[in-house]
Amino acid sequence: MPLKVGVIANPVSGRDIRRVIAQANSLQVADRANMLLRALAGLAACGVAEAVMMPERGGVAGHVLRHLAQSANRGEARFPRLSFLEMPVTGTVDDSRLAARKLAGEGVAAIIVLGGDGTHRAVAAECGATPIAGISTGTNNAFPEYREPTVTGFATGLAASGAVPKDVAIAANKWLKVCIEGAPSEIALVDVAVVTEQNLGARALWRADTFRELYVTFADPQVIGMSAIAGLVEPVGRDEAGGLMLRLAPAGAAATIVRAPIAPGLVEPIGVEDWRRLPAGRAFTPALAAGSIALDGERELSFGPRRKVSIELVENAFATINVAAVMRYAAAKGLLREGRLACA
Amino acid sequence: MSSNPFPLSRDELLRAYRTMRTIRDFEERLHFEFAKGDIPGFVHLYAGEEACATGIMMHLTDIDRIASTHRGHGHCIAKGVDVHEMMAEIYGKATGSCRGKGGSMHIADLSKGMMGANGILGAGAPLICGAALASKFRGDHGVGVTFFGDGAANQGTVLESMNLAAVWNLPVLFVVENNGYAEATSVEYATAVDSYVDRASGFGMPGVTVDGTDFFAVYEAAGEIIRRAREGGGPALLECSVTRFYGHFEGDAQTYKAKGENEFNRANRDCLKIFRARVCDAELASERDFALIDVEVAALIDAAVSSAKDAPLPHARELLTDVYVSY
Ligand SMILES: Cc1ncc(C[n+]2csc(CCOP(=O)(O)OP(=O)(O)O)c2C)c(N)n1
Ligand SMILES: [Mg+2]
Repeated sequence: MPLKVGVIANPVSGRDIRRVIAQANSLQVADRANMLLRALAGLAACGVAEAVMMPERGGVAGHVLRHLAQSANRGEARFPRLSFLEMPVTGTVDDSRLAARKLAGEGVAAIIVLGGDGTHRAVAAECGATPIAGISTGTNNAFPEYREPTVTGFATGLAASGAVPKDVAIAANKWLKVCIEGAPSEIALVDVAVVTEQNLGARALWRADTFRELYVTFADPQVIGMSAIAGLVEPVGRDEAGGLMLRLAPAGAAATIVRAPIAPGLVEPIGVEDWRRLPAGRAFTPALAAGSIALDGERELSFGPRRKVSIELVENAFATINVAAVMRYAAAKGLLREGRLACA
Repeated sequence: MSSNPFPLSRDELLRAYRTMRTIRDFEERLHFEFAKGDIPGFVHLYAGEEACATGIMMHLTDIDRIASTHRGHGHCIAKGVDVHEMMAEIYGKATGSCRGKGGSMHIADLSKGMMGANGILGAGAPLICGAALASKFRGDHGVGVTFFGDGAANQGTVLESMNLAAVWNLPVLFVVENNGYAEATSVEYATAVDSYVDRASGFGMPGVTVDGTDFFAVYEAAGEIIRRAREGGGPALLECSVTRFYGHFEGDAQTYKAKGENEFNRANRDCLKIFRARVCDAELASERDFALIDVEVAALIDAAVSSAKDAPLPHARELLTDVYVSY
């Protein structure tokens, strides 16, 4: 069977209110298509002959197909063969979910995901053991790392072909499981924030005085969004056991203030009451009686006395391609070199 | 009663519902009346898109101007134009907003900051730039909002206006009401970008996409954009994805729609149903509160239709009044 990699490109990520309340960028459809082509070129360079993509009507696929046809006209062989999953297109996040299930079912070696935290969340929830190679096109993007897509394609190809052993190439990830009245409802890949606003409205979070609790799977002081708050308090690695939980308060009411970039270009003083390590496998219930739950920075569920929520950290929840480790291994073993290397 | 989870008071929520219900009933009644053949000209119904006009207009007062479209009844009602005068205008009667000479596609009421429905696609955008420039000169903090469809968004006038608004830093909100179709042509076929936000980026202005069937999403996003514009932050674009429950115009057989599309949208994407369920769920209003408004609105529309039918036609000697302006 030829080596096959799946592709899920969300055509509509990065269009939310953060462009107005801050300076979030807005990646245009042609840019997204170019990013995908770069990732495909990386895959082909490592021997991946086939890519299977989620169909969409947003225009990314159209741009990609035009480029592939132009490249073929010129006799190039820079890209894998591209086909599309057979599925209806609704234009909603359900498409990403269904595509992830289908790709995992087809046994693709990995799934390249283009999108923000929301798209990655949808894919992670459905792709089982198939590893994800994430490319950031969204707004806040705490989960997918910023990286040139050609390199992501390269690493995915090296991992998919088995040139790099699994224990190097595949990383295990944590997620946060959110239950409503005890029943699993949603997941978050990076952070769950509990805020006083019960209204979901335009979904993004930016009114810092409404933040009350924060749960994170990892805390990186270099990321943007809610998890930046945790990262500036106590960094926790993606591969470390456990996460972090913090109690927050309006800046005027807390002894500790953290200045955190909660959206691109938006640095706000955040009141932090206390923090502690978040152990895996234990469900926590917010102290707030009513409010809403934001998953990876977007208000998704409202809760109240008649709709109780709990939050639990789960380890080994899904797999990703460890691009940095793959590329280091490839360099050390000379996987992308031919001939003898002279050192002067 | 539980605490209020919304950024609006109970009274404001009920006002928003009343506006949306008035638009819906107005349009459903026109759908019925138009089929009888008494109404001259074309009518394009706004049913299904109510949350968009209402969520935006809740942030505006009479000093703020809007420029509407051929599908303008909802914009007029949400901006406060008198429903009796609107109905009379659509029937071409002397008691109408424009003395019966405009009809559905030219309803205007400058006292309410409603600069007119418009039969010419994309014509509202340059108009609103002028209004916003006037506000900027006067320093009255008024903003201009121009509505256009996914089809009209591809008109040169709209793109030129976006450029002008950007370079002059005008307080303008460009609203794309993306209902998926321009007449029978789908947006995927006719538009070279996946989102109209890309168009805004091309002019260096921020753009936001929201679910236009979610009143609260529209309300919050529009609120931020309008406040920003009022404070001198410049123009922005808001794309609302909406659904159109009826045909392009009354009499359209809608053969280009998928089987069951209208039924699906009415069941799952009805902004009034969604609004009502949310507010009831939060116990801020009861089904009874909404039912009372429904009764009140139904009576208003009944009265508007019967008085429009009874009203006189404009007199022939009025033919040239209010038509030309001398400078
Ligand atoms: C300049 C111009 N060109 C063409 C038309 C004919 N026309 C009327 S409505 C319409 C489609 C408009 O589609 P859209 O902008 O998406 O608005 P919608 O009807 O969906 O609300 C067309 C082509 C017109 N009125 N003006
Ligand atoms: Mg349209």
